[in-house]
Amino acid sequence: MESGYRNKPVLHDFSFTIHEPSVYVVLGPNGAGKTTLFRTIAGILRPTSGEVLIDGMPAGQQTSRDQLHYLSHMDGIPDGLTVRESLDYYARVERATSADVERVLDQLQIREFSGTFISRLSAGQRKRVSVARIFLRERKIYLLDEPTISLDPKVAREIRSLILELSRDKIVLYSSHNLFEAREIGRYVLAIRSGELALFDRIENLRSSRYVVGVRALEPSDALSEFAREGDYYLRELPGPEAVPAFLRELESRGVKIRELREMGNPLEDLFT
Amino acid sequence: MVVFYSAAFGLGGPLFVSIGTVVLPIFAVSGGIGGCLVFSNDRLKGVLEYLVAYGVSPRRLLFNALAVGLIQVTLILGAGVAAGLTTYLLSGYQLTVRLPEVLLVYTFPMSYLTVSLMTTIGVFWTALSSPRAGLNSPIGVLPMIGVLPTGAALILALTLGRYASQILLGAELVIFVIVLSLLSRTDRLMPTERLLSPG
Repeated sequence: MESGYRNKPVLHDFSFTIHEPSVYVVLGPNGAGKTTLFRTIAGILRPTSGEVLIDGMPAGQQTSRDQLHYLSHMDGIPDGLTVRESLDYYARVERATSADVERVLDQLQIREFSGTFISRLSAGQRKRVSVARIFLRERKIYLLDEPTISLDPKVAREIRSLILELSRDKIVLYSSHNLFEAREIGRYVLAIRSGELALFDRIENLRSSRYVVGVRALEPSDALSEFAREGDYYLRELPGPEAVPAFLRELESRGVKIRELREMGNPLEDLFT
Repeated sequence: MVVFYSAAFGLGGPLFVSIGTVVLPIFAVSGGIGGCLVFSNDRLKGVLEYLVAYGVSPRRLLFNALAVGLIQVTLILGAGVAAGLTTYLLSGYQLTVRLPEVLLVYTFPMSYLTVSLMTTIGVFWTALSSPRAGLNSPIGVLPMIGVLPTGAALILALTLGRYASQILLGAELVIFVIVLSLLSRTDRLMPTERLLSPG
């Protein structure tokens, strides 16, 4: 399909099919078309050619809309309401019950400020309220546009774990600029470049163009002096993961006491270059 | 000028009532700002995008903004008329047929119609412009749009005092037709992509 705005086509020759419940990370630089993709699947934008089908029904029809949750990159919280009133408002739109509201107040740990006006919340707290609405009712598909942006690491991790739990039997499309987060949560990656689908694959199948490992030693060693450094890590480029055991043996034979060895690069980084 | 106009309507009574009846539609336009402000804010904050994603049509969003405007006008009119009537009666005047007639022919319909016109134009204009906040958005000039039809009709009615009622009714009819005509073009003037949050 192709999609975009009145005077600005964004997505070209875009085609993919998803069946398996999982987290599909949507990656791409700013302006690549991630938000346009979500808006088109959500039925907000109509494809200018081709079509988006959800269980065989065109996106935008109410039966399709009822199968998905869409969380935009904006909070989408009306002015002048308290947290509880906002959730009540979402519950009415989504035909959820007051019991559902009570449940998500605890699930997202926002009960303590349920009586606070949204305007008095921090950006992170507002985001939690915004994210809370996707847990009001279960749907088959979740379109989450940067759901953890402006959240502190602890809350972001908690929300990621809730989303991972969801993905056991739901399809989650998840966009993020945080590549480590993307790698942690995603099983598949959809990379968008200049409005085209550049890659759709399992993340485990991705290989960095350069495979670099970092070694942290228990104590300083002359054997490591020839290595480049990044913080506490001594860097070495290897042909691939299969070369790691031999590299470890080499270090041991040179008397290096290893505290930690980790892969330094992220294969997802290459999708941005 | 206002006294002259009231005399043309034959209202009589305290000046407060005469002036109030005539200028109430001009004050009432402030009620129309509410609906547009909510619409503009909701668009900026992604609320409209959220609602559209869940199946709420642009037409319904427009009618919601209209409803907000009309409810606010009702509050303004209610307070204004109650204060005016109380003053009128406390001043010892008898309620004549002329006062309710002016309210029903001019004050109420002109207020509701100008606010409907203002809200409809404001919502379309907001939707068609780039998202901007507060007075930088079209809302900044909306009161002028609201006051303009009433002001023009009043000046014309003053100039041709004998035909004041006909002129005002004619102006109301024109505004009504414009509003209906605009509402019938909602899908073209307010496509969903114009309701999306920036970014």
